[in-house]
Formats: sequence, structure tokens, C-alpha cells
Amino acid sequence: MGFRTRQIHAGVTPDPTTGAILTPIFQSTTFVQPSVDEYLSKGFTYSRSGNPTVRALEMKLADLEGGVDAACFGTGMSAILATMLAFLENGAHAVVSDVAYGGTYRLSTKILSKFGVNYTFADTSNPDDVAAKVTSDTKMILTETPANPTMKVSDIAAVSEIAKKVGAVHAVDNTFLTPYYQLPFELGADISVHSTTKYMDGHNATVGGAVISKTQEHADAVRFIQNSTGTVMSPQVAWLTLQGCKTLSVRMDAQSASAMEIARFLEGHPKVKQVAYPGLESFAQHELSKRQASGFGAMFWFEVEGGVAAGKKLMDNIEVWTLAENLGSVESLITHPVTMTHADVEPAERARVGIIDGLVRASVGLEDTEDLIDALKVALDAI
Amino acid sequence: MSKFLNFDTLSLHAGQTIDPVFGARAAPIYQTTSYVFPDTDTASSIFNLERGGHAYTRITNPTVGVLEQRIAALEGGSAAVCTSSGMAATFCAITAILSQGDHIVASSQMYGGNISLMKNTLPRFGITASFFDPTDIDACKAAIQDNTKLIYGELIGNPGLDILDLEAIADIGAEHNIPFMVDATFNTPYLCRPFEHGANITIHSVTKWMGGHGMAIGGVVVDGGNFDWGATDKYPTITVPYAPFQGINLWEEFGPSAFATRIRAEAMRDIGPSMAPMNAFLLLQGLETLSLRMDKHISNTLQLIEYLENHEQVTWVSHPSMSSHSSHELAQKYLPKGAGSIVGFGVKGGRDAGRAFIEACDLASHLANVGDAKTLIIHPATTTHSRIDADALVAAGITEDMIRLSVGLEDVQDIMADFDNGFRAAKRVAGG
Repeated sequence: MGFRTRQIHAGVTPDPTTGAILTPIFQSTTFVQPSVDEYLSKGFTYSRSGNPTVRALEMKLADLEGGVDAACFGTGMSAILATMLAFLENGAHAVVSDVAYGGTYRLSTKILSKFGVNYTFADTSNPDDVAAKVTSDTKMILTETPANPTMKVSDIAAVSEIAKKVGAVHAVDNTFLTPYYQLPFELGADISVHSTTKYMDGHNATVGGAVISKTQEHADAVRFIQNSTGTVMSPQVAWLTLQGCKTLSVRMDAQSASAMEIARFLEGHPKVKQVAYPGLESFAQHELSKRQASGFGAMFWFEVEGGVAAGKKLMDNIEVWTLAENLGSVESLITHPVTMTHADVEPAERARVGIIDGLVRASVGLEDTEDLIDALKVALDAI
Repeated sequence: MSKFLNFDTLSLHAGQTIDPVFGARAAPIYQTTSYVFPDTDTASSIFNLERGGHAYTRITNPTVGVLEQRIAALEGGSAAVCTSSGMAATFCAITAILSQGDHIVASSQMYGGNISLMKNTLPRFGITASFFDPTDIDACKAAIQDNTKLIYGELIGNPGLDILDLEAIADIGAEHNIPFMVDATFNTPYLCRPFEHGANITIHSVTKWMGGHGMAIGGVVVDGGNFDWGATDKYPTITVPYAPFQGINLWEEFGPSAFATRIRAEAMRDIGPSMAPMNAFLLLQGLETLSLRMDKHISNTLQLIEYLENHEQVTWVSHPSMSSHSSHELAQKYLPKGAGSIVGFGVKGGRDAGRAFIEACDLASHLANVGDAKTLIIHPATTTHSRIDADALVAAGITEDMIRLSVGLEDVQDIMADFDNGFRAAKRVAGG
């Protein structure tokens, strides 16, 4: 069945007791067992180990991504953490995209490094750089594509090949494009990680994460970490995310079409120095983007003439667009990564990977494109 | 499973059957609009009231259903219908049995919304009301007319706190074959169960003590199952075949829960003030600790009364537990565990000093609710009862200097310290 049908129906069956068309919110800590011998016969014991509402979302996400199973987490960061804990250990080595969400960078360099996990940051958009950085100890490659916030695109198939050669798990953070536009498993990846907070929810209502596995062995490893560390998603969050997923493709199409128009507008504006959107012909990896994904998404960045001061002025004065962290929601957001999402990345490292001080990150929402462009026009004129 | 008979056990278990699919211990939140029917025969029989079952959340919802059955059990009624607010409960209960040309005899000491409903809204549809002083049983008797179809009152009057003599009023109702409906919000089934004293219907704003945490708006109508609707021909909505449901006779089919069924079949279907499933879940959580909270509300109330009585800036204190209160004896009879946690008192210096007191209090919240876990204070003359005229204000037992206090669950010493600040501010305004 097609994606639109599956985003609505996958994982959800009418409640057998009442017929309720939506999965009930099982806001319950524990589950009554019919007898000692029938322990777990109904599938659930304790909501850290599993919850029927969360389970429905997991089944849906596994289906959409084309995986065997999924595990949902309290946040996107706990999804990343579980992935790292499942496939890395003391002495192990991981290669991570040198441009990734600031939280991923922080988790690697400041937390897991304390436990003897070794990280090397590679320009995953250049497979040769990845090949040069893997070692015999490399157990995982984590690729974020398109990367946050530079939009740099990595060739999932090429990186997967390298991972396969050294016997490493290739995990892809698929948050920016979602399975609607990009299917990492078909390109050879093993794990797909999401912040469900973004497009899956889509309404700025929840924080959540998910890890989808291509094989049962990997799924079991992730589940074991989840149950042991307790980083679970709550039933309420799962329920809201279940509703959000039903309109995922419709929102992605509308937001991406809007992003394309806005990126073109900015590209032609005299006060804009540069725009990076994979959908633009001027984007260095436009061809790769077209090849491995069926859409370009709704994220881009731009730099205004006049450097940081001008960028800040634009962000402080713009209307309709909201200055806020998060992305992927129906509300259009703009962010200044250097002071907000990527503040924990060292300045030298930021400069090296292209997170320039004047970079303004835009997450295009579902408002009328015309209103979003008009607001940008007014704000740019005021600089 | 053994029979659960006692209150605390009922407040935790009544109405809930463990989810048969997964065994979830907490009642699942059925946040759904509709229910998939297994086949067309089942669908039509649910629609015809021939069998129980869920079709659409406006009419029934499994999560709301747990709350309804739990409240019915706690109140000792035959059935309950939850509504989106306490006012919706009152409206649905009245319109289920009264029509154009009918008359209500009601206590004059009621929540301003109830008074306004009967004085302003229902008369537009030909339903009129006469009000009686709840301390004067003869006045109630005298107010009965040929077209009187309902006697209505609040057990603990708001905000005068006069106690309605349930048994005396119930006797008047029985004599005239008129049901007696009690707004039991201020007492909850923990402090008094009006059906045990002859009342026939209760309504609650479950927003208040039942929920207890100020989180969800909701109401409930509880059918006492103890009124003989068929004794006269005064209640055709219950006893005459109901056309929309293929001429079903609710009284014959549903007997003791005929009244509740009428609300379900008519008000929930045609008017639709349904309770949200999420609210039902939150309110169920509140009910689990009802008795614990009520005991603490009461003990805090008694300590605060003593504090207020001894405070030099307080002109008067009113609570039915006080021997000085005119309803003291009735309170002992109907509310032996405690006469609620609403206290009225006057601040020296009148209206302006009262305002200064409220503004200087920090811990006690100034808002128009009662029955929260947090202590609340308000000046009724300018807020909850501001839309009723001066005469009605007096009849409702309200004075200009009155502060209505809803005692919360905080450490009572902290409430007193907060009030000390309030009284210091009041004293500056009052002088002396």
C-alpha cells in the first residue's frame, strides 16, 4: 500500500473491546497479568518495557521506514544515545558526521567519550574522508543527512558500503527528510534515527524520538538498551505523534513546495549573500539530493549581507516567522545556530564545518507562502 | 471478585473493569470520536438503546463511563451521566423532565449561575421558578404550585452556607410526587449522600472537590433510582413513548435509571454537552484520593475557623460547624464528618478592607473556583454573584464585606501566615 494509506493505518487497529477508531491512550504504569503462568500473555507488563499506545506508534514508524521494528524514546537525543549504547562500548570507535545537530556533537565529545568511546568526526558528504577515518575498531557510522544546519548531504549508499566493509553499523539520522522523502534502508543503511518532535509530530506539541532497525538483531539490541536505561516515550506523546503522522506526507509536500519558493525568492534578493537549499540548482549537492531522496524538505539556511549584525536584526524584527528552536512544525521558525542550537560546538569546529556566524536557519511551516515571503521582504528591507 | 462495599474502596475501583486486551491497570483514555461496529445489526441495536455499547463520544465514551459508574456507586445512585460542566449537568437534569409551562421551587441560596439559569434563561423557554429561604421549610411548601415539577437546592448553600433540611424537603416532594434534586457539589458523597435522606437526583460540579486539583471542568447528574415517575402523569418525558427511539417507554424499559437514560438519549444526543475523555481521566485520578483530601480540607477548615474567630480584624465568621451558625444542628445531622471547606468571613473596614485583604494574600489564590487543593479566596459581591440584584444578594446571604474562603490542603500554618499579611493590609485601609 502507498505511503499515504500507511501513514494513516499502519500500526493502528480499532480497539477490540469498544471499537474505538483511535488507539486509546494507555496512561497506565502497569498491566494486570491473568495469572503467574500467563505472565506477559497480553504483551505488556510495565510501561517502561512497553506500552500499547507507544507500541502502535512504533509499528507505524517501522512500517513507514521499511524496517522490522522501531523503539520510541522520550526525545530524539535519547534515541541517538540508545543507538550509540547499543552498538558501541569502551574502546570502540565511531565515525560521526562533522556537521550534525549540536546535541549529537555534545553527547559524543562530552558524555560518551568519558566512557572510553572514541569518536572521529568526518565529512560524511565526502565518502573518501569517511573511508580514511574508519579503523578496525569502528563499530558505527552516524550520518546526518541533510545535516543540521549546513544542509550538507551525505551519500547514504556510499557511506553504507564503507560501513559494510569494516563491519560497522550505519545509522542515519533521517529527521530532516522523514521516510516520506528518504528511505535509508533501501540505500544500505542499518538504522534510522528520528527526532519525532519534528515532522512526525509536526505541531510543536511533543518531544520524542525513534530508532528504526532493518534487522531483528539490531532492534533487539536497541530495545535492550531502552528497557535498561528507561528512556521511554510517554503514552500521551505517542498518541499525539500518532495523530501527527497521519498528515506527514501532506505537510511535507506543502512545506517543501513553500521552502522551494522562498529559497528562490531569497536567492534573487540583493541583500542575501547566499542560500543553501538542496532543491536549488545552485546547491552543490543538488544532483545527489535528487538521486537519493524524492523531495528536498523544508529546511534551508541563508546569510544576509552585513554579517552577524544584519542577521540578528532580521531575526529580531521579522513577523510571522518565529524565533525559536525546533524545526519541522507547521509554524515557520527561524534560528541562529551559532547562539542557539549549535552553541555547544567549539567556534573553531563550527568555522571548520561551515556553520558561519551569519547563518540563519529556516524551518518552513504551513503558513501561506506569500505571507512568509512578504514577512522576509519587510525584514530584509529594514536592514 | 468480592463485593466492594466501603467508600474508599469504591473510590478506587468502582466502574472499572480491567482492560481485557492488555490488562492496563489505569483506565485507558479513549480519546476517540467514534467506534467501529462489528456489524450492522450491532450498530442499529446500539442506536436503538436495545443494547449497551459505544457509537460516538458525544453520547458515550468508555473512559467517561468509568467515571460515571464510579460516581454513581459513591453516591449510591442507579446511574450517572457526566457532562462538560456543572452548569450543563443542572441544565440537562432540569430539561430532561421539565417543559414549557412547568415550574421549579428552588432555594434562594445557590451558586449565582444556578440562580441566573432559573431566573433568566429557563423563563425564556417557559420554565419558571420560585425561590424559598432554605431555612424556612414552610416557605418551600408554600411555593409549590400545580405546575411545580421539581424542587431544587444546594445542601450547603452558596455562599451563605445554610444547610438545607434534606428530609423535610424530601417529605414535601414525596407528598406532591415531585422529585427533589440536590446540588451536592460542596459536600461530595464523602460528607453526605443525599439519596439516603430522600433526595431523588443529585448534580455535582465535579470540577470542585471530586476532581480536587483545579484541572478539569466537568459535571455529573446522578439518578437516585428512587423516584416513582409513573405515579402521576406529570413526567411524560419519562413515561410516555419516546418517538426518536422508536417509541421506547423509558420508565418501562429502564425503571430506576429511566431518568439518566432520558438525559443520555436526549441531552447528550440533541444538545451534546459531553465530558471530554481526558477530563474524565483527570477527574478519576482526583476521585481516588477524595476521602483523604476531604479529611484534610475539613481539619484545615476547623483550624482556620479558630484562627479567624480570634483575629481582631475579623468581624464575623460563618461556617455550619460553628455552634453560632443557624444551621449548626442540621450540619451535625447531615454532615457529621464535616460541613465542607467553604468559610465566609467579614473583614473589618468593609468592602475596601476586603479588597486590600485579597490583594495582599499571596499563597491564597484570588479566583472564582472552589474545591481546589489550593486555598482560594474571593469577594462574592463583586464577582460570582455580581449579576444578581441587591435583594437577591441579601436573600443569598451575601454581605458587601464578605470574603469567601475555599480552604485548601496547604500546611495550615502557612495559610495563617498568608492571612496575617492580608489582615495587616486590611488594617491599613480600615484604620485603627
